Amino acid sequence: MNPDILDGFAQASMMSSLIATGIGSLLGLVVGMIPGMTISTGIIIVLPLTFVLEPTISIALLLGLYVSGMTGGSFSAILLNIPGTPSASATGLDGHPLAQRGEAGRALGLAITASFIGGMVSFAGLFLIAPLLAEIALRFQSPDLFSLVFFGLTIICSFAAKSVIKGLLSAVIGLMIVTIGQDPMMGSQRFTFGQVNLIAGIHFLTALIGLFAIPQLVDNFVELISDKETRHKATRIERVLPRWADLKRIRLPVSIGAPVGAFLGILPGAGGPIAAFISYDYTKRVSRNRDEFGKGAVEGIAAPESANNAVTGGALVPMMTLGIPGDPVTAILIGALLIHGLAPGPLLFVENGGFAFGVIFSFMYANFFNIVIGFLGLRLLVKVLATPNALLMPTIALLCVIGSYALRNNFFDVYVMFGFGLLGLAMRWLDMPVVPLLLALVLGRPLEEHLRVSLASSQGDPTIFFTSPFSVVFLGMAALSIFWSFYAEHRSRRVSDGATRQ
Amino acid sequence: MRRRNLIAAIFLLAIGIGYTVLTAHLPTRDIGSTTQPSFFPWVIAVLFLVLSAALLIQGLRPATSDAVPKAPDVAPNKYLWGGIAFVVYLAALPTLGFVAANIPFFLALMYLYGERRPLWLLGGSIGISTALFFLFREIFQIRLPSGILSGVIA
Repeated sequence: MNPDILDGFAQASMMSSLIATGIGSLLGLVVGMIPGMTISTGIIIVLPLTFVLEPTISIALLLGLYVSGMTGGSFSAILLNIPGTPSASATGLDGHPLAQRGEAGRALGLAITASFIGGMVSFAGLFLIAPLLAEIALRFQSPDLFSLVFFGLTIICSFAAKSVIKGLLSAVIGLMIVTIGQDPMMGSQRFTFGQVNLIAGIHFLTALIGLFAIPQLVDNFVELISDKETRHKATRIERVLPRWADLKRIRLPVSIGAPVGAFLGILPGAGGPIAAFISYDYTKRVSRNRDEFGKGAVEGIAAPESANNAVTGGALVPMMTLGIPGDPVTAILIGALLIHGLAPGPLLFVENGGFAFGVIFSFMYANFFNIVIGFLGLRLLVKVLATPNALLMPTIALLCVIGSYALRNNFFDVYVMFGFGLLGLAMRWLDMPVVPLLLALVLGRPLEEHLRVSLASSQGDPTIFFTSPFSVVFLGMAALSIFWSFYAEHRSRRVSDGATRQ
Repeated sequence: MRRRNLIAAIFLLAIGIGYTVLTAHLPTRDIGSTTQPSFFPWVIAVLFLVLSAALLIQGLRPATSDAVPKAPDVAPNKYLWGGIAFVVYLAALPTLGFVAANIPFFLALMYLYGERRPLWLLGGSIGISTALFFLFREIFQIRLPSGILSGVIA
């Protein structure tokens, strides 16, 4: 057996890693459950705390949060009909009606079980596919890597935005920000305006905290659950362990949801909400109980829940093997790895094989912790829903400030974080998506490096990008994704124009 | 006309022009076949200007179904006071330090998020701010400046 696999298993099974995974899972369930808090924000807040930890432990904690955050999102969707995360929107369609019938515990138990199955299926996919893909990716040269990063960026811009132009603009703003600081090839200073703090560039996490957390603080001026009685009623749960009959009923939905989620997770940009709704829709079509859908069908809970948790393992595949994030959370995980001096990509499996497999096994443990903590702590965890924003939001604000400062022990980063918060709000007002900007911050530097190295090796001849089959395929897919997005936008505009005229 | 697209496009074009001017002033180096440090910024500048111009054209086209998301029902002065609280806090932070600045900032935010009970306001702001400070300092070994309280907090 590959010694890296054994090493990875040993790293993930260390007591410290297991404790970190468990704490991450607990935090994930809490963060996911709170309406208005996204998994990304949760990870961003926790990230500064992981700086002092070993990389394996740090990633174990973040993976626990990522996996359980998906499940936690379904709790508030089921109990309050307010999805804690966008991925849990489909779960609420049947979960909430079931809870309204007085069977909240049954709905939650099924959601936790389906999440576990989805997560384990995607673990199997991650374990089998990631090393193979990394081996193929080792053959990539600079032009291929440039084209791959370019493809990763364009497909996410296309998916993330209602308007393709705005999505691309958001990404280009991110690329502009990346150019601040030292040029990666020669070390020349660019756009630093004599400011010493800018020589090392804008720290990725500073930008992230501002872009994600500040708009969330503003959003939560409005209490999503204003009725205190609803809060307290939602926290009363009866039996949660699923019955045998229910487990038999969810066989079909999880066997649809889990593979669909794992596959869509691998595609950059597709993400949990799409996987959840596709699985829900397909299960509804093939289910014998399709008339029950929307009224509390257990199949309607299991399909999206298994799908959105399966997305997590899928999204780790391109992140670990190619260095391309599949969703915002994996983009943040790339940042976390970079802070620890580890660059995700094909070389991760060669240079740090034990660590790479450690991440994969920590993901597996995260799924185990998710189901154990979910079942054992559910009654206690849902009490979090009764926490008022007046305590939660100021705490998040302080964590953002402390987190930004702690990155480099520098007040300048706190001001930059606030500036990015304002940028996030401005972009929201202009209806521009933030996710492409975030991904450009992660991918901008490798994009520039591979572009310039390729051009240097070809004496400035741009046809170098069309000499390798890998590069041609990636550029072709990038062009196709942009073209398809423009076409889809044009088509949806025509449909809505037609509807307006009628 | 799509008003927001138009405003966005004009604003972005101005940024794009500024970025282009700055890029033109980047230092050049005599480095043979390798690209200049300004190469990538030039690529970005051109892309940015083209995309901003495309957005401008889109903004000038007659609006049909340009649905603008409904803003949440929040009193505008809440945003204003929130912003002021943040700016004052950030300005005072280096001098006051993390404990002395965090407590009033936390209290102000609690008030803005709707808490009105004096005991909760005081208890929450002092308790959580201090707990976070010591959590980071003692558990996570992150030295947060204690500012004017540096004599009190060892």
